[in-house]
Amino acid sequence: MKKSVVCSLFTAAALFAGSDEVERLKTQMHQQQQMIEKLLHRVDELENRNKKTQEQELNIRIETSGSRSASFAQQAFLPDIALIANMAAVGRNVGNEVYENYKIPGFIGNPGEIPFNPKRGFNLNYGELEISSTVDPYFDVAAALHIEKEGLHIGELFVTTRALPYNLRLKAGKFKSEFGRINPKHQHAWNFSSIPLVFESFFGPGGLGDEGVQIQWNLPTENYWMAGFEAMQGGNGRSFGNTDTNNLFIGYLKSSYDITDTNTLLAGVTYMHGKNPAGNTDIVGADLTLKSFFGSYSALTWQNELLWRDKDGTGKQAGLYSELIYDYNQNWAGGIRYDTLFKNIGNEPDDLERYMVMMQYKPFEFSKLRLQYTYDRSKWIDGERKDIHEILLGLTIEAGAHGAHAF
Amino acid sequence: MKKIFLALLALMSLSFAKVDVITTYPYLAETVKAVGGDLVRVKALASPKMDPHFIVPKPSLIPQMSRADMLVINGAGLEIGWLPPLLKRAHNPKILPGSIGFVDASQVIDLLDKPVAVSRAYGDVHPEGNPHYALDPHNIVRIAKLVAYKLEAIDPAHRAAYEANLGKFLARWNAFLKSFDEKMGRCKGMKVVQYHELFNYFLKRYGIVSLASIEPLPGIAPSSKHTIELIGLMKKEGVKTILQDVYHEKKTARFIASKIGAQVIVLPHDVGAVEGADTLQSFYEAIAKRLCH
Repeated sequence: MKKSVVCSLFTAAALFAGSDEVERLKTQMHQQQQMIEKLLHRVDELENRNKKTQEQELNIRIETSGSRSASFAQQAFLPDIALIANMAAVGRNVGNEVYENYKIPGFIGNPGEIPFNPKRGFNLNYGELEISSTVDPYFDVAAALHIEKEGLHIGELFVTTRALPYNLRLKAGKFKSEFGRINPKHQHAWNFSSIPLVFESFFGPGGLGDEGVQIQWNLPTENYWMAGFEAMQGGNGRSFGNTDTNNLFIGYLKSSYDITDTNTLLAGVTYMHGKNPAGNTDIVGADLTLKSFFGSYSALTWQNELLWRDKDGTGKQAGLYSELIYDYNQNWAGGIRYDTLFKNIGNEPDDLERYMVMMQYKPFEFSKLRLQYTYDRSKWIDGERKDIHEILLGLTIEAGAHGAHAF
Repeated sequence: MKKIFLALLALMSLSFAKVDVITTYPYLAETVKAVGGDLVRVKALASPKMDPHFIVPKPSLIPQMSRADMLVINGAGLEIGWLPPLLKRAHNPKILPGSIGFVDASQVIDLLDKPVAVSRAYGDVHPEGNPHYALDPHNIVRIAKLVAYKLEAIDPAHRAAYEANLGKFLARWNAFLKSFDEKMGRCKGMKVVQYHELFNYFLKRYGIVSLASIEPLPGIAPSSKHTIELIGLMKKEGVKTILQDVYHEKKTARFIASKIGAQVIVLPHDVGAVEGADTLQSFYEAIAKRLCH
């Protein structure tokens, strides 16, 4: 049908047009036919070439298949690993042997092993391996392993959930309790080389870390409100130590409020209840932090924490610290800390104080040099108060996976 | 009557159920706004006045992330120093990597400056390539398409509306690009020095040559030795323009400029970084105006 129409059109055109016109059309058609043939030839050629290269590629892959050993390679699944090292040179007006047996009357009878900067002279305090990874769609895992002279020590090893609804998160394993501001952080993230006196007295020089479970909930509010609850074994001997069963319970509430875009307030309250060999221990805590930013790299942070303890067999005691840190730029920072144990039992002294000043230089994000001076009026040596002066030059490096900055 | 009331109520709740979107940077929020229109509620976490590598992870950002249905990030390592702890604290499975609500825009971009060798000895290098691709206005097209695709997956009931929004936005944006590219043609071949390799995507797109940066290595503060070398290079090459971001110190740039009679031009790196750059279009126009007039 179509053909006949075209034919008749052609005849019509031929009839109307002159014979010159017909000749022109004929040559044009001929030229077009030639072009089409050429194009077809090129397509064939390309197809053949493509087939040939595919075949060649396959042959190469067949020939080299034996030498490929990547079948079971799993590098892409390696966890994030960071190596952290902390070391310091220390000058102190007290000899090493007497210093190791200091007392804080009413609070610390014997310091036990001092983990950070125990000696005058050089201290390689620790190496730490921080390893973290997503396990599967449901769990993350993180570990902080301390490399010590005696071997590897588990600082933290815990699993957290990824997929719980209602903004809930569960954590299980061994971990640092997340109450307050300083306790969740590792030593290399503190602003001074030691934990405040009240933390050292109540929980030891590393703070409170234990085996247990934790649940945290972000409240569905416009401002930040987070409630956390932890059940722990209670192995910390300074305040608890009765581990007959999981005996320690910790609850805390944290909130934050932006006064302006560049001024932030962060506050929290804590309550914990545990058992010591002589009975119950109750601890109440409160923290308040005010942070002002002057740009991307400069900030002023004022951080305060208070802890109050009622321990059966000992009595009621309390302490607090207040620190002010000024980040001048990406490289330089400075700070001061006042530290006190202001409530003590019976006739024990309640004017136990410590003052610290530090200046910090970070050549880059991953290394930190710190010069720190400490004036310590809290220690008793050989039965009497001994004012301790200490100067410390410390170096911390964090190599490997990028540890992001927490607030 | 009761039924009608219930149906009305259901309809109302449907029409008010906006998709909650969080983006890391303002330019991403603007793109989401263009594609999502009234169907989304969008907020950027970072302030455009701050260094995008070092946003303060304020706890007040957590509630927004806790209730978000979708998180759009720049990616290529730009957020690695501040977003992961917030994401962990948000306790929101909908926006974790691997979920449909986690959108990494760098995955649809051809990244420049991918380093051949990666070591922290070279400073703050990004193994994936230069993450500041937002500076090329042509990349907005790709991001808008990605955002539309993801919004349609999260909120399939409004697929047609997102498609229509995308079509309208792209028509407008492509028209803008055409006139913008034409305008930028006159700056081709210009030579500049920049503080950080922040403007590479813009410079490359418009044939502007960046000879060096004031930072000796990415993320490392200027040193006097490097600055003196730089002055020598700029004299030799006849460079009269120094590009400066809004958040770094400007002393070094001004010092160099005073030594060789060059000018320091402060350029926005994101929507809202300087005055009068509050929309995507005015952001790029602000760069062109400051650099090319």
